[in-house]
Amino acid sequence: MKEYTQREIFNYFVKKGVENFIGVPDSTMKYFVDQGLKKKRVIIATREEEAIGIATGMSLSKSPSLVFMQNAGFANSLSTITSLVQLYQIPLIFLISWRGYLKNDAPEHTKIGRIQPSLLKSLNLKSKILSENFWKKECSWALNKIRDGQSCALIIRRDFLD
Amino acid sequence: MIRKEAIEIVSKTLKNQLVVSANGYISRDLFEVCDRLANFYMIGSMGLASSIGLGLALKNPKKMIYIFDGDGNILMNLGSLVTIGSLKPKNLVHFVFDNGMHESTGGQPTSSKNVRIDSMAKMANFKVFHTYTKNHLESILKKINDKMGPIIILIKIERSDHISKRIDISPTLIKTRFMKTIRN
Repeated sequence: MKEYTQREIFNYFVKKGVENFIGVPDSTMKYFVDQGLKKKRVIIATREEEAIGIATGMSLSKSPSLVFMQNAGFANSLSTITSLVQLYQIPLIFLISWRGYLKNDAPEHTKIGRIQPSLLKSLNLKSKILSENFWKKECSWALNKIRDGQSCALIIRRDFLD
Repeated sequence: MIRKEAIEIVSKTLKNQLVVSANGYISRDLFEVCDRLANFYMIGSMGLASSIGLGLALKNPKKMIYIFDGDGNILMNLGSLVTIGSLKPKNLVHFVFDNGMHESTGGQPTSSKNVRIDSMAKMANFKVFHTYTKNHLESILKKINDKMGPIIILIKIERSDHISKRIDISPTLIKTRFMKTIRN
Protein backbone atom coordinates (compact mmCIF):
# COMPACT_ATOMS: atom_id res chain seq x y z
CA MET A 1 0.00 0.00 0.00
CA LYS A 2 1.27 3.47 -0.96
CA GLU A 3 2.95 5.74 1.57
CA TYR A 4 0.40 8.49 1.00
CA THR A 5 -2.54 6.12 1.58
CA GLN A 6 -1.04 4.69 4.78
CA ARG A 7 -0.55 8.17 6.22
CA GLU A 8 -4.08 9.16 5.19
CA ILE A 9 -5.49 6.07 6.91
CA PHE A 10 -3.76 7.00 10.15
CA ASN A 11 -5.06 10.58 9.96
CA TYR A 12 -8.56 9.31 9.18
CA PHE A 13 -8.66 7.14 12.29
CA VAL A 14 -7.52 10.05 14.46
CA LYS A 15 -10.15 12.30 12.90
CA LYS A 16 -12.81 9.70 13.62
CA GLY A 17 -11.89 9.46 17.31
CA VAL A 18 -9.44 6.59 17.66
CA GLU A 19 -7.16 7.73 20.47
CA ASN A 20 -4.64 4.93 20.93
CA PHE A 21 -2.44 3.01 18.48
CA ILE A 22 -0.50 0.23 20.15
CA GLY A 23 1.42 -2.60 18.58
CA VAL A 24 4.52 -4.17 17.13
CA PRO A 25 5.59 -2.69 13.79
CA ASP A 26 5.92 -4.38 10.40
CA SER A 27 7.50 -2.92 7.27
CA THR A 28 4.25 -3.54 5.37
CA MET A 29 2.65 -0.72 7.40
CA LYS A 30 5.71 1.36 8.18
CA TYR A 31 4.26 4.66 6.93
CA PHE A 32 1.11 4.15 8.99
CA VAL A 33 3.21 3.59 12.12
CA ASP A 34 5.56 6.44 11.20
CA GLN A 35 2.63 8.85 10.88
CA GLY A 36 1.54 7.84 14.39
CA LEU A 37 5.04 8.23 15.81
CA LYS A 38 5.23 11.71 14.30
CA LYS A 39 1.95 12.63 15.96
CA LYS A 40 3.12 11.04 19.23
CA ARG A 41 0.15 8.74 19.40
CA VAL A 42 1.84 5.35 19.15
CA ILE A 43 2.99 2.95 21.86
CA ILE A 44 5.38 0.26 20.66
CA ALA A 45 4.90 -2.85 22.80
CA THR A 46 7.37 -5.70 23.29
CA ARG A 47 4.91 -8.34 22.08
CA GLU A 48 1.53 -8.33 20.39
CA GLU A 49 -0.29 -9.85 23.39
CA GLU A 50 1.09 -7.06 25.56
CA ALA A 51 -0.24 -4.51 23.05
CA ILE A 52 -3.69 -6.11 23.23
CA GLY A 53 -3.56 -5.98 27.05
CA ILE A 54 -2.69 -2.27 27.07
CA ALA A 55 -5.39 -1.53 24.49
CA THR A 56 -7.90 -3.47 26.61
CA GLY A 57 -7.15 -1.27 29.65
CA MET A 58 -7.69 1.80 27.46
CA SER A 59 -10.85 0.45 25.92
CA LEU A 60 -12.24 -0.26 29.42
CA SER A 61 -11.61 3.45 30.01
CA LYS A 62 -13.82 4.25 26.99
CA SER A 63 -10.87 5.32 24.89
CA PRO A 64 -11.10 3.83 21.36
CA SER A 65 -8.01 1.81 20.44
CA LEU A 66 -6.32 0.11 17.50
CA VAL A 67 -3.71 -2.65 17.76
CA PHE A 68 -1.28 -3.17 14.86
CA MET A 69 0.87 -6.21 14.15
CA GLN A 70 2.36 -8.52 11.53
CA ASN A 71 0.52 -11.79 10.92
CA ALA A 72 3.28 -13.60 12.84
CA GLY A 73 2.13 -11.53 15.83
CA PHE A 74 -1.48 -12.34 15.03
CA ALA A 75 -0.54 -16.01 15.42
CA ASN A 76 1.06 -15.16 18.79
CA SER A 77 -2.16 -13.48 19.86
CA LEU A 78 -4.74 -16.21 19.25
CA SER A 79 -5.23 -17.12 22.92
CA THR A 80 -5.38 -13.47 23.98
CA ILE A 81 -8.03 -12.81 21.35
CA THR A 82 -10.19 -15.75 22.51
CA SER A 83 -9.68 -15.49 26.29
CA LEU A 84 -9.60 -11.71 26.69
CA VAL A 85 -10.91 -9.73 23.71
CA GLN A 86 -13.74 -12.07 22.74
CA LEU A 87 -14.49 -13.43 26.24
CA TYR A 88 -15.06 -9.94 27.66
CA GLN A 89 -16.29 -8.45 24.35
CA ILE A 90 -13.66 -5.73 24.18
CA PRO A 91 -14.11 -3.54 21.08
CA LEU A 92 -10.72 -3.24 19.33
CA ILE A 93 -9.60 -2.72 15.74
CA PHE A 94 -6.76 -5.04 14.74
CA LEU A 95 -4.59 -3.91 11.85
CA ILE A 96 -2.79 -7.02 10.64
CA SER A 97 -0.28 -7.20 7.82
CA TRP A 98 -0.57 -10.14 5.44
CA ARG A 99 2.97 -11.42 4.96
CA GLY A 100 3.15 -14.39 2.63
CA TYR A 101 0.43 -12.90 0.43
CA LEU A 102 2.84 -12.94 -2.50
CA LYS A 103 4.10 -16.44 -3.25
CA ASN A 104 7.74 -15.34 -3.23
CA ASP A 105 7.73 -13.49 0.10
CA ALA A 106 10.44 -14.72 2.53
CA PRO A 107 10.01 -18.41 3.51
CA GLU A 108 9.15 -17.76 7.19
CA HIS A 109 5.93 -16.07 6.06
CA THR A 110 4.67 -18.73 3.66
CA LYS A 111 2.72 -20.97 6.03
CA ILE A 112 1.15 -18.28 8.21
CA GLY A 113 0.26 -16.30 5.07
CA ARG A 114 -1.56 -19.34 3.72
CA ILE A 115 -3.56 -20.12 6.87
CA GLN A 116 -4.31 -16.52 7.90
CA PRO A 117 -7.74 -16.32 6.21
CA SER A 118 -8.87 -19.59 7.79
CA LEU A 119 -7.55 -18.54 11.22
CA LEU A 120 -9.61 -15.36 11.05
CA LYS A 121 -12.62 -17.42 10.04
CA SER A 122 -12.12 -19.97 12.85
CA LEU A 123 -11.87 -17.16 15.39
CA ASN A 124 -14.98 -15.57 13.92
CA LEU A 125 -13.02 -12.32 13.86
CA LYS A 126 -14.68 -10.30 11.11
CA SER A 127 -12.21 -8.73 8.70
CA LYS A 128 -11.81 -6.65 5.56
CA ILE A 129 -8.82 -6.22 3.28
CA LEU A 130 -7.71 -2.61 2.89
CA SER A 131 -7.62 -1.36 -0.71
CA GLU A 132 -6.05 1.71 -2.36
CA ASN A 133 -9.39 2.86 -3.75
CA PHE A 134 -11.91 2.04 -1.03
CA TRP A 135 -9.91 2.23 2.22
CA LYS A 136 -12.20 4.87 3.67
CA LYS A 137 -15.16 2.55 3.33
CA GLU A 138 -13.23 -0.32 4.92
CA CYS A 139 -12.00 1.83 7.82
CA SER A 140 -15.45 3.21 8.46
CA TRP A 141 -16.79 -0.38 8.56
CA ALA A 142 -14.23 -1.08 11.33
CA LEU A 143 -15.17 2.09 13.23
CA ASN A 144 -18.83 1.04 13.14
CA LYS A 145 -17.88 -2.39 14.50
CA ILE A 146 -16.15 -1.00 17.57
CA ARG A 147 -18.96 1.49 18.08
CA ASP A 148 -21.24 -1.55 18.28
CA GLY A 149 -18.94 -3.10 20.87
CA GLN A 150 -17.30 -5.66 18.59
CA SER A 151 -13.70 -6.31 17.67
CA CYS A 152 -12.67 -6.66 14.03
CA ALA A 153 -9.61 -6.79 11.77
CA LEU A 154 -8.33 -4.80 8.83
CA ILE A 155 -5.81 -6.61 6.67
CA ILE A 156 -2.99 -4.84 4.86
CA ARG A 157 -1.48 -6.97 2.10
CA ARG A 158 2.24 -7.28 1.58
CA ASP A 159 2.19 -6.31 -2.10
CA PHE A 160 5.92 -5.72 -2.60
CA LEU A 161 9.19 -7.58 -2.11
CA ASP A 162 12.36 -6.11 -0.64
CA MET B 1 1.74 -15.30 55.28
CA ILE B 2 -0.37 -16.99 52.62
CA ARG B 3 -1.70 -15.25 49.51
CA LYS B 4 -5.22 -14.84 50.83
CA GLU B 5 -3.93 -13.12 53.99
CA ALA B 6 -1.77 -10.77 51.94
CA ILE B 7 -4.71 -9.96 49.66
CA GLU B 8 -6.85 -9.28 52.75
CA ILE B 9 -4.30 -6.81 54.10
CA VAL B 10 -4.11 -4.91 50.79
CA SER B 11 -7.89 -5.04 50.31
CA LYS B 12 -8.51 -3.38 53.69
CA THR B 13 -6.73 -0.26 52.39
CA LEU B 14 -8.78 -0.04 49.16
CA LYS B 15 -10.82 3.10 48.52
CA ASN B 16 -11.49 4.08 44.92
CA GLN B 17 -8.53 2.24 43.39
CA LEU B 18 -9.13 0.21 40.23
CA VAL B 19 -7.84 -3.34 40.71
CA VAL B 20 -6.84 -5.76 37.95
CA SER B 21 -6.23 -9.27 39.26
CA ALA B 22 -4.39 -12.07 37.49
CA ASN B 23 -6.00 -15.37 36.54
CA GLY B 24 -5.94 -18.41 38.80
CA TYR B 25 -6.08 -18.33 42.58
CA ILE B 26 -5.25 -14.61 42.84
CA SER B 27 -8.55 -13.53 41.30
CA ARG B 28 -10.40 -16.20 43.28
CA ASP B 29 -8.90 -15.01 46.56
CA LEU B 30 -9.74 -11.39 45.77
CA PHE B 31 -13.30 -12.36 44.82
CA GLU B 32 -13.75 -14.22 48.11
CA VAL B 33 -12.07 -11.62 50.33
CA CYS B 34 -13.35 -8.40 48.83
CA ASP B 35 -15.62 -8.50 45.78
CA ARG B 36 -16.21 -4.94 44.56
CA LEU B 37 -17.33 -3.34 41.30
CA ALA B 38 -13.90 -1.79 40.72
CA ASN B 39 -12.22 -5.23 40.50
CA PHE B 40 -11.41 -6.51 37.02
CA TYR B 41 -10.97 -10.27 37.37
CA MET B 42 -8.84 -11.36 34.42
CA ILE B 43 -9.82 -15.03 34.24
CA GLY B 44 -7.91 -15.90 31.04
CA SER B 45 -5.01 -14.32 29.11
CA MET B 46 -2.32 -15.29 31.63
CA GLY B 47 0.43 -12.68 31.99
CA LEU B 48 -1.55 -9.66 30.86
CA ALA B 49 -2.84 -8.15 34.14
CA SER B 50 0.11 -5.73 34.22
CA SER B 51 -0.55 -4.63 30.64
CA ILE B 52 -4.27 -4.07 31.22
CA GLY B 53 -3.23 -2.11 34.33
CA LEU B 54 -0.87 0.01 32.25
CA GLY B 55 -3.65 0.91 29.80
CA LEU B 56 -5.91 1.87 32.72
CA ALA B 57 -3.16 3.89 34.43
CA LEU B 58 -2.43 5.95 31.30
CA LYS B 59 -6.11 6.76 30.75
CA ASN B 60 -7.07 7.40 34.39
CA PRO B 61 -4.25 9.55 35.79
CA LYS B 62 -6.37 10.68 38.74
CA LYS B 63 -7.01 7.15 39.98
CA MET B 64 -4.60 4.67 41.57
CA ILE B 65 -4.37 1.42 39.61
CA TYR B 66 -3.53 -1.69 41.61
CA ILE B 67 -2.36 -4.81 39.78
CA PHE B 68 -2.58 -8.09 41.71
CA ASP B 69 -0.13 -10.34 39.93
CA GLY B 70 1.72 -13.60 40.58
CA ASP B 71 5.30 -14.65 39.89
CA GLY B 72 4.18 -17.08 37.17
CA ASN B 73 2.10 -14.34 35.57
CA ILE B 74 4.75 -11.62 35.45
CA LEU B 75 7.39 -14.07 34.25
CA MET B 76 5.18 -14.69 31.21
CA ASN B 77 5.18 -10.98 30.33
CA LEU B 78 8.48 -9.52 31.52
CA GLY B 79 8.37 -7.11 28.60
CA SER B 80 5.56 -5.29 30.38
CA LEU B 81 8.06 -4.20 33.06
CA VAL B 82 10.05 -2.51 30.31
CA THR B 83 7.04 -0.82 28.74
CA ILE B 84 5.68 0.35 32.12
CA GLY B 85 9.15 1.52 33.20
CA SER B 86 9.48 3.42 29.97
CA LEU B 87 6.11 5.21 30.19
CA LYS B 88 6.38 5.70 34.01
CA PRO B 89 2.75 6.05 35.11
CA LYS B 90 2.86 7.54 38.62
CA ASN B 91 -0.47 5.99 39.59
CA LEU B 92 0.44 2.34 38.94
CA VAL B 93 1.14 -0.07 41.82
CA HIS B 94 2.12 -3.58 40.83
CA PHE B 95 1.73 -6.17 43.61
CA VAL B 96 3.43 -9.49 42.93
CA PHE B 97 2.34 -12.30 45.25
CA ASP B 98 5.33 -14.58 44.89
CA ASN B 99 5.06 -18.19 46.05
CA GLY B 100 7.74 -19.44 43.64
CA MET B 101 5.27 -21.73 41.92
CA HIS B 102 2.29 -22.15 39.66
CA GLU B 103 0.03 -22.99 42.60
CA SER B 104 -3.27 -23.27 40.75
CA THR B 105 -1.90 -25.84 38.28
CA GLY B 106 -0.43 -28.11 40.94
CA GLY B 107 2.54 -26.28 42.46
CA GLN B 108 5.08 -26.62 39.66
CA PRO B 109 8.08 -24.34 40.32
CA THR B 110 8.75 -20.99 38.66
CA SER B 111 12.24 -19.49 38.51
CA SER B 112 11.48 -16.60 40.87
CA LYS B 113 13.74 -18.17 43.54
CA ASN B 114 16.73 -17.98 41.21
CA VAL B 115 16.25 -14.62 39.51
CA ARG B 116 14.93 -11.68 41.49
CA ILE B 117 11.81 -10.10 40.04
CA ASP B 118 12.23 -6.97 42.20
CA SER B 119 15.77 -6.42 40.87
CA MET B 120 14.56 -6.64 37.30
CA ALA B 121 11.78 -4.15 38.10
CA LYS B 122 14.30 -1.80 39.70
CA MET B 123 16.36 -1.84 36.50
CA ALA B 124 13.14 -0.96 34.67
CA ASN B 125 12.61 2.28 36.67
CA PHE B 126 10.15 0.94 39.25
CA LYS B 127 10.26 2.04 42.87
CA VAL B 128 10.70 -1.27 44.65
CA PHE B 129 9.42 -2.69 47.94
CA HIS B 130 10.02 -6.23 49.11
CA THR B 131 8.39 -7.96 52.08
CA TYR B 132 7.49 -11.30 53.61
CA THR B 133 5.72 -10.21 56.81
CA LYS B 134 2.25 -8.81 57.47
CA ASN B 135 3.47 -5.91 59.59
CA HIS B 136 5.96 -4.79 56.99
CA LEU B 137 3.35 -5.04 54.23
CA GLU B 138 1.00 -2.84 56.29
CA SER B 139 3.71 -0.21 56.77
CA ILE B 140 4.56 -0.23 53.03
CA LEU B 141 0.88 0.34 52.21
CA LYS B 142 0.88 3.44 54.42
CA LYS B 143 3.92 4.84 52.60
CA ILE B 144 2.80 4.57 48.97
CA ASN B 145 0.93 7.31 47.13
CA ASP B 146 -0.09 8.36 43.63
CA LYS B 147 3.03 10.41 42.97
CA MET B 148 5.60 7.66 43.38
CA GLY B 149 4.87 5.20 40.62
CA PRO B 150 5.47 2.98 38.96
CA ILE B 151 5.78 0.96 42.16
CA ILE B 152 6.32 -2.78 42.51
CA ILE B 153 5.65 -4.52 45.83
CA LEU B 154 7.03 -8.03 45.87
CA ILE B 155 5.32 -10.06 48.60
CA LYS B 156 6.84 -13.46 49.36
CA ILE B 157 4.04 -15.81 50.35
CA GLU B 158 3.76 -19.45 51.39
CA ARG B 159 1.87 -22.21 49.69
CA SER B 160 -1.56 -22.76 51.18
CA ASP B 161 -4.15 -25.54 51.22
CA HIS B 162 -7.02 -23.10 51.10
CA ILE B 163 -8.76 -22.81 47.75
CA SER B 164 -11.14 -19.90 47.29
CA LYS B 165 -14.43 -20.25 45.43
CA ARG B 166 -14.69 -19.79 41.69
CA ILE B 167 -15.77 -16.42 40.32
CA ASP B 168 -19.45 -16.87 39.54
CA ILE B 169 -20.13 -13.69 37.61
CA SER B 170 -19.82 -13.63 33.83
CA PRO B 171 -16.87 -11.93 32.12
CA THR B 172 -19.14 -9.44 30.38
CA LEU B 173 -20.72 -8.50 33.72
CA ILE B 174 -17.25 -8.14 35.27
CA LYS B 175 -16.52 -5.72 32.45
CA THR B 176 -19.70 -3.65 32.52
CA ARG B 177 -19.74 -3.11 36.27
CA PHE B 178 -16.01 -2.27 36.22
CA MET B 179 -16.56 0.29 33.44
CA LYS B 180 -19.35 1.95 35.41
CA THR B 181 -16.96 2.63 38.29
CA ILE B 182 -14.51 4.30 35.90
CA ARG B 183 -17.13 6.65 34.59
CA ASN B 184 -18.01 7.85 38.10
